[in-house]
Amino acid sequence: MHILATEGLTKRFPTVTALDQLTVTVGSGVTGLVGANGAGKSTLIKILLGLLPPTGGGARVLDLDVTTQGAEIRRFVGYMPEHDCLPPDVSATELVVHLAQMSGLPRTAARERAADVLRHVGLAEERYRAIGGYSTGMKQRVKLAQALVHDPKLIFLDEPTNGLDPRGRDEMLALIRRIGTDFGISVLVTSHLLGELERICDHVIVIDGGRLLRSSAIAGFTQATQTVTVEVEEGTQPLAERLSELGHGAVQHGRLLLVKVTGPETFDAIRDAAVDLDLCLIRLEQGRHRIEDVFREEVDAGV
Amino acid sequence: MSEIYDIGYRHYDGPRLGRGYSTRALTVHSLRGVFGLGRTARSKIIPFALGVIMLLPAVVSIAMMALMSRRGMSYSGFAVYMQTVVAIFLAAQAPTVVAPDLRFRVLPLYLSRPVTIAEYVTAKVIAMTAALFLLLAVPLTVIYVGELVIDMDGPPQTKEYLGALVMALVLALLLSSFGLAIASLTPRRGLGVASVIALYLLTSASVPVIFGTLYSTGNESGAAWAWLLNPFWLVDAVQVWLFGTTPNVPDGGYPPGPVPAILVVVLIGIGLAALAARYRKAAAR
Repeated sequence: MHILATEGLTKRFPTVTALDQLTVTVGSGVTGLVGANGAGKSTLIKILLGLLPPTGGGARVLDLDVTTQGAEIRRFVGYMPEHDCLPPDVSATELVVHLAQMSGLPRTAARERAADVLRHVGLAEERYRAIGGYSTGMKQRVKLAQALVHDPKLIFLDEPTNGLDPRGRDEMLALIRRIGTDFGISVLVTSHLLGELERICDHVIVIDGGRLLRSSAIAGFTQATQTVTVEVEEGTQPLAERLSELGHGAVQHGRLLLVKVTGPETFDAIRDAAVDLDLCLIRLEQGRHRIEDVFREEVDAGV
Repeated sequence: MSEIYDIGYRHYDGPRLGRGYSTRALTVHSLRGVFGLGRTARSKIIPFALGVIMLLPAVVSIAMMALMSRRGMSYSGFAVYMQTVVAIFLAAQAPTVVAPDLRFRVLPLYLSRPVTIAEYVTAKVIAMTAALFLLLAVPLTVIYVGELVIDMDGPPQTKEYLGALVMALVLALLLSSFGLAIASLTPRRGLGVASVIALYLLTSASVPVIFGTLYSTGNESGAAWAWLLNPFWLVDAVQVWLFGTTPNVPDGGYPPGPVPAILVVVLIGIGLAALAARYRKAAAR
């Protein structure tokens, strides 16, 4: 069953067309919505919440119509905005309890749920302190907690990793994955980095300029775009040559080497080549693709 | 830590109450915020200090009744006498009701829930109105209870007391709708405080000037209209028309008839419309 579906969805603002004939369906699990800044991701979420009327076309969320049943949709959907949205002078507990009540939970239930979700997102004792003193990572956790507190069937996360350091980013992504699997709540998560969504999504939708570029299960993306980034202290050039000799496509990218992964043997080849050439291997990392990679591939495929 | 993280996620299958409930909860939350309840100790200082100041005349009135068997302040004149304190309370606390949600962009968290913008604004107006009503009604009630206990000569002034309560509610609604509209246009709290107090000073300072000018030129009936520029005297004029109380102005009285009452209704309408327009714009952002 589809969690949400759009049909020819169009949104025009006086000066710009934010969404242009967008037709997609999203199933349960974790779905990534990828696009550059201004691609129409936030506009799409606002329309799906029933807060912004579409100019043309239609959309259904949890089998409810966004133009006529917005209030009913918002009862069973959670939303984590991209921007800062937390008042500094109240504690996380107080804010989340209050917002749970705004979703219709009775006061005692609101308190229990708030305590539960704040624990799940990893806020301990600090949840009783005023939010003004929180780090960016803690604030993102509070924003996530308020989206989960009423036990929604579906949550919209708008750029949840924004402003986080690499470790915070990894923790947030792991948490989102858990929400989609262990919690059984469907997730629509936006990002401008395809690489980070690859790790946690079952399905990825790529939009650009309000148009659908691609929508497919994650396997399709990883097969097409899997590369590994290799960094060695010196001798990037010889290593590239050696790998090319062995039949592995290696592209030099500044001090880094991007190697196309054809299977587990690619990693063995890199290791053996580094040992043979007596190189100091610093880093071997699964490629973090940016949105540009997808564009390039689409163009290549077109040619 | 691990055992804390390892507990599984529990779904919620209890009741999900309707929008009447969430509007009530928001009203109570906002009303608590006006008095700084559930906030830091510092945010309780101003509302409670002003509340205590409002009670001082009540204590003096009771003392006068008990010791000298004389009535102090009249019920009908209480709001007019204490107008500066009420205005400061409005200026200081109206921004705390509306400004943070706009300034820190909390509004989307409400709007992504079943709460509508109309319910949000209604809850905020009710909360501020209730706060101002309490500020006026508590001292009035203290005086009335004092009067009953002391058992003054003659019948208790129940009618005037109840009339004063009704007018306190009207005044609270008038002040709230305007105070919140102004505060919502200036999301920075300090600016909101300054704007509300500036408007109050403008209305009360212009009254004697206009009154004096018209009075000295012999236009006494015209001068009476000057009082209606200030919300406290305007509401007092309605009280005179509705309950036949003594006007709380030095010379003459207010313009007779229902015009002040119509003005109050129109002004409340303008305040609420401005507030609604402001929030429609904020919601679209």
